[in-house]
Amino acid sequence: MTRIWPLLVALSKDWLRNREAVFFAFLFPVILLLIFSAVFGGGAAEFTLHVQNNDLGPDENPTNLSTAFIDALEGVEALEVQSIPAGRNITEWSRQRGSAGATRVVVIPHGFADKVRAGSREARQSVILDTMTRAGGQINQTNQARIRQGLNATPNGTNATGPAEIVFLSASDDQAAPAIRGILSSVVAQFNSNAIGVETPPTTVVSDDLGSRNVEGVDYYLPALIAAVVMINGLITLPALLAEFSGDGTLKRLIATPLRKRDWILANVLQQAVLALLITGVMVVVAHLVFDVTVIPGPLAIGLILLGAITFTGFGMTLGSLVEGSDAATSLGMAIALPMMFVSGVFWELDLMPEYLQTVATLTPIYHFHRGLRQLMVLDTTQGVGVPFAILGVGAVLALVVAVHVTQWQDL
Amino acid sequence: MTTESTDPVISVTDLTKTYGDTTAVESVSFEVYPNEIFALVGPNGAGKTTTVEILECLRTPTSGVARVLGYAVGEESRPIKQRIGVVPQSFHTFDRLTVHENVALARQMYEKGRDPDDILERLDLSEYADTRFATLSGGYQRRTGIAMALVSDPDVLFLDEPTTGLDPAARQSTWEQIERLTDLGTTVVLTTHYMEEVEELADRAALLVDGEIVAVDTVADLVETYGGDVKLVVDPTEDQRGELEARLRSVATDVYQDDTGNLVGIFEDRYDAQEAFGQLLDIEGDHSIELTGAGMEDVFLQLAGGTVGNRGELR
Repeated sequence: MTRIWPLLVALSKDWLRNREAVFFAFLFPVILLLIFSAVFGGGAAEFTLHVQNNDLGPDENPTNLSTAFIDALEGVEALEVQSIPAGRNITEWSRQRGSAGATRVVVIPHGFADKVRAGSREARQSVILDTMTRAGGQINQTNQARIRQGLNATPNGTNATGPAEIVFLSASDDQAAPAIRGILSSVVAQFNSNAIGVETPPTTVVSDDLGSRNVEGVDYYLPALIAAVVMINGLITLPALLAEFSGDGTLKRLIATPLRKRDWILANVLQQAVLALLITGVMVVVAHLVFDVTVIPGPLAIGLILLGAITFTGFGMTLGSLVEGSDAATSLGMAIALPMMFVSGVFWELDLMPEYLQTVATLTPIYHFHRGLRQLMVLDTTQGVGVPFAILGVGAVLALVVAVHVTQWQDL
Repeated sequence: MTTESTDPVISVTDLTKTYGDTTAVESVSFEVYPNEIFALVGPNGAGKTTTVEILECLRTPTSGVARVLGYAVGEESRPIKQRIGVVPQSFHTFDRLTVHENVALARQMYEKGRDPDDILERLDLSEYADTRFATLSGGYQRRTGIAMALVSDPDVLFLDEPTTGLDPAARQSTWEQIERLTDLGTTVVLTTHYMEEVEELADRAALLVDGEIVAVDTVADLVETYGGDVKLVVDPTEDQRGELEARLRSVATDVYQDDTGNLVGIFEDRYDAQEAFGQLLDIEGDHSIELTGAGMEDVFLQLAGGTVGNRGELR
């Protein structure tokens, strides 16, 4: 074990004097952070949504319920709601608008409020009947008959039947449409929930905020990029270096000494772990200086970063042992790391991707890595981080076992 | 150069290494004694590197027995590695570390050893101590390798092709460094395809051809046994021809005149020829004398049926 420290120092010096490695480890992620955060730095991503409210009352004013629904939409921070006059032909409006930004329209049809009320009443009656049925013997037959009679006599106020449908129109090539559809579904769900339990229409729908802080683009990208860089170093940079050491004889010279295989692996893992912390520090400082981000990784976040570094370094050592030549190692590392990085939602939210890719993302360690980091660093909560810790913990142990098993220490 | 006949520090018996259907080393046996310089000589592909890498615990033997410093190769690699130094073929180390940092790192891999600064001074590397390895010339890179191998104060030093690829000046300098190693009490095992390197450095040598040892002995005995006749070629002036021929006939086993008119004396023993060389030089006059033949080249030609080219190829 006494050989680990000098080897760690030597590996670190050799690495820090390698301009390409330093560029990809420090400057490249900082550049990415600056670019992504600058692009989305004005706040959370915001989408323009046009709303046409055709649900007008006898006085030609919008009904309370339709107004409440639009208020709910306006309450969502990610949406900038603009109105289209009632009755306007949407196709014609869209044609006249030309290329002035993406066209996404929500149409609230005439009779929306009536259908909501009818639906609400049906739902409440169902609840009462269900409760009465469950109460069973506690309510006698006479009283049950009276209740049923009363419910049937309750004035409906409308002949509306069927669900209240709002229509969402978007272009087929609109990349943001799935995300907006998801937001609409959330608003509708909240609206329905409120509509069932109250007599008066809901006036607000509270959208679920990401946390106590005002979350901006840089907050989203900082933990994701830290996770991505740790993975890139482990799966791309390290295997290339190891293959170089193996190819030029440096490793053979070390193997000829009393150095043990496990010490060699541990020294590399430790070096990458220290490096991961250094990179985190640099990115946090840059994010603070440029974007005034005040987040500081706590002990749990640091622990998760270390687990991520161990996991990806362990697998990186395995990759470095499987191929000859740094070019082949780099190619293999990229073939594994880059698809994982793009699929896992490092650079964009998973909601923007097809459902099957979202499922694939959850199978990658980088997904759990950056989601866990985001919970800890941005949302400042430990809720849901058990899974990332468990997955990366198992991954770290597995990666080290495989690395020890695969790394050749004789007959190179 | 000294040879002491005590217990061998390395003993190899019927060592064989195969890679699939290819036999790299077949039933090799030899011994290396303390404080000697022992050379494994042969062309590329003869099995020299495979043999030393087995002794360095870098490869596992297919069969046979090898012991280094009393420890069994393949079973006791840890104590062997603690007491040997290795300069692999095409030696390389961390490019971006300085010479001193590389040597200090090598020192820290062992339980005991020498002060890196002392080793650098001994190998005339002190002025390059702060130079990064990648920027050194080939000769100084090889010397750094020797420093890294010596810093653990090894009992046995393995040098695999220590001067291959070096220019003549760097090669001569490396030879001088290797010759001085025995002053430290180090036993040296080197592989080479340069016959002059064997003559210059080695006490004893084993000739490897196609994975098999064809001869192993002291260099002098190899030359005497397999080197053939030694020739003394004299280019006399006409007024000295009679005196020179008479003196030559008195010491040589045979004398004849070649096509150019030179007198050629044949000797069975190189030492007799060297002595005659001195006697003929003492005769006053304007004649020239050349001693030819009977070196390791001749030994290799005799035993392997060819010579080894500068790139190690068998011709």
